[in-house]
Amino acid sequence: MSRFYYYLVMINMIANIISAVPTILLRYRNDGAVLSLIVGIILGLVIVIVYTKFFNAFPGKTFPELLVQTTSKWFYYPLLFFMAVMWFIAGISTLITYSFLLIRYLTPDIPIMLIGLTLILSIIFGCFMKTDRVLYTIEIVFVINFPIIIFIIIKAYTSKNLNWDFIREAMLHVVQAPNIHAVSSSIFLFLGVVNLVIFNRFFTQKQNFGLKQIIVLVFIAIATTFTTYFIPIGFHGSETVGELIYPWIATSDSMRMRYFVIERLVYVFLLLYLSMAFLSILIHWHVAVELFKYIFKLEKMKFKGINIGYIILIVFFTVSSLYIIVSLTEYQLFQYSKYFFNIAVVNFFAMIFLFIYIIRRMKGANKKANES
Amino acid sequence: MLIKKRMKVKLFILITIPFLVVLTGCGEFKDIDKMVFVSMIGIDETDDPEKPYKIILKLYVPTSSFRQNPTPEYTYLSKNGKTLAETISILESHLDKELDFGHSKLIVVGEKILQNDNYKEILDFLIRRPDIQMISYFAVGRPNAEEIIKFLPAGETALQPTIFNYFDNNGAESSYIISTFLFDFRRRLKEEGIDPILPIVEMNEPKTHFIINKSIVLADNRPPYELDTDKTLLFKTLSMNAKTIFFAVKREREYFVSRIDSIKSKYNVNVENNKASIKIEMKLAGVITESKNTLSSKELSRYSKMLDEEMKEKVSEFIHEMKREGYDPFGFGLKYYAHTLPKNRMTHEEWLEAYKNADVEVVVKSNLKSTGSIQ
Repeated sequence: MSRFYYYLVMINMIANIISAVPTILLRYRNDGAVLSLIVGIILGLVIVIVYTKFFNAFPGKTFPELLVQTTSKWFYYPLLFFMAVMWFIAGISTLITYSFLLIRYLTPDIPIMLIGLTLILSIIFGCFMKTDRVLYTIEIVFVINFPIIIFIIIKAYTSKNLNWDFIREAMLHVVQAPNIHAVSSSIFLFLGVVNLVIFNRFFTQKQNFGLKQIIVLVFIAIATTFTTYFIPIGFHGSETVGELIYPWIATSDSMRMRYFVIERLVYVFLLLYLSMAFLSILIHWHVAVELFKYIFKLEKMKFKGINIGYIILIVFFTVSSLYIIVSLTEYQLFQYSKYFFNIAVVNFFAMIFLFIYIIRRMKGANKKANES
Repeated sequence: MLIKKRMKVKLFILITIPFLVVLTGCGEFKDIDKMVFVSMIGIDETDDPEKPYKIILKLYVPTSSFRQNPTPEYTYLSKNGKTLAETISILESHLDKELDFGHSKLIVVGEKILQNDNYKEILDFLIRRPDIQMISYFAVGRPNAEEIIKFLPAGETALQPTIFNYFDNNGAESSYIISTFLFDFRRRLKEEGIDPILPIVEMNEPKTHFIINKSIVLADNRPPYELDTDKTLLFKTLSMNAKTIFFAVKREREYFVSRIDSIKSKYNVNVENNKASIKIEMKLAGVITESKNTLSSKELSRYSKMLDEEMKEKVSEFIHEMKREGYDPFGFGLKYYAHTLPKNRMTHEEWLEAYKNADVEVVVKSNLKSTGSIQ
């Protein structure tokens, strides 16, 4: 597979360490979170493989284009609109979590409105770039930050203060039946692949997706899921970790770099994840923007040569996310994130059936084209 | 086309420059000269039930250069109050600057505060506040926190409070100093099956420097239990935190001191029919550094045996004492939970009962490699 494909999959996994996912998972630590992780990995990989295979079969084609060819208007407009809103919310959820983190840890003096506005302004214009340019941006930021993130994770695993007894104790909760919320939030880690609905435009050549690639994905999936859930437990105990609102921030605060420029790792961690959050929001919102563009035909909305369609979209994105940032409380954020993950997972599983339908219709369409 | 592009560039510059200019005058951000940094937090208990806490903050006084004032200078703020957050917010009105806790690396609580459960409230405040580092050290001050906080040991420079060096294993690497991070204290306190242990900071008699070589173990519903210097060393050895320890062996007419620089220890906890058995395996390696008698290199294995026996005796005695009193700083309970399925687990009370009656088996394998430079 092209390396850009792995960026899409991995950024969603890595960036979700700071989103609501670990908090939700750890909240269900005594109600079957461990088995949910295993179920989540299996189902998540199913989604990843099916989506990759499907989009690989139609190189260079976006999902809206495929829908137009195979289904009717009354079906695909609502579906695309729904997906666009979903992806917009996915971006917002990361954005809000990160704004909350910034105001809590990094800049408590700056009003949250300003933090949110700074983040949105730096992202929103990126979303309107061409798909390939978005991918190049992702590559640069990712390649700079990823090694340091890996270093921090290794630092966590080798830390003397990581108590493996807590982790073992937590692992033994595997005998409990899985919980639906925990399953869906662990599946959400894998939904980076859904970005292919737009980003497939970039992969114009048929990619090689065989057993080797799947093994790599399995390895990445297990490693990230294990790290996301168990490292905070190892640092903060299997029971008390549930009290933490942001388990990973507390975890990075518990690591100490004796000879580094900054002894307190949490600030390095926050800055690294600022860029990861940036990438995650950029990807999600780029997909949302492209879908909205497609639905409302925004390119054609012009007024005296100025493209007001885009401006409307930018204003809508900014205002609605600012409104949500200011009005939401932490509890609501986690509660709504939980429901959002549930809906997203159910939706993207259901879309597998749609894929089967599209493949059959496309075969028919190709045959017809050949005959004529 | 070209003109259009130039227009675009001009427009871009025209828009960005005002943005950059506006950014510099950000009214919400505080400059460093408007902040004062807390170096340590001390919390004592008072006799007044209305205002049970006394907070002492040690603040850095900024100096322009090290050469001008090589001696350390600090200011102190202290106030009694009912809750910590309120008291600190009142303390902020005693200053012209904003208090910044982000650089505080040590929290000292008075010995008296451990006698009742007040330390749990303190811990809640310290963890809840995001700017207090979770990697700050937590220590017990004797006789109280205030004296420890306000004490300037001989030889302290303006660079850094010397007391930090005791804990961070950077300067002093003594095997008698327990360093407990704030997050470690919290997890040990709240988890079942492992009990918190804190270092005790004292001053020597003519008050020239600190002494940190004792520790205190806390447990639910029991008074804190003090470990003396030897037991603190044994705890550090067993928990594999000590780098090197010096251990005296007095047996069979020999009396020597060994320097052990490789320590590995492993615990195993088994429970059958509500009867717990604890097995501790230790592997030691080191050299002999002092002896009353002439030694012979040939007999190193005999000396190792003697070290085994001595260590085994000391360790089992220590563990027996801890389990008799019902304190578990090693995390035996956690070890037990870590390999028992949730539904088969004993309740915490049952485990404590089983721990008190547990069998202890200590296996020590030591390997003395040399008698030093002489035989």
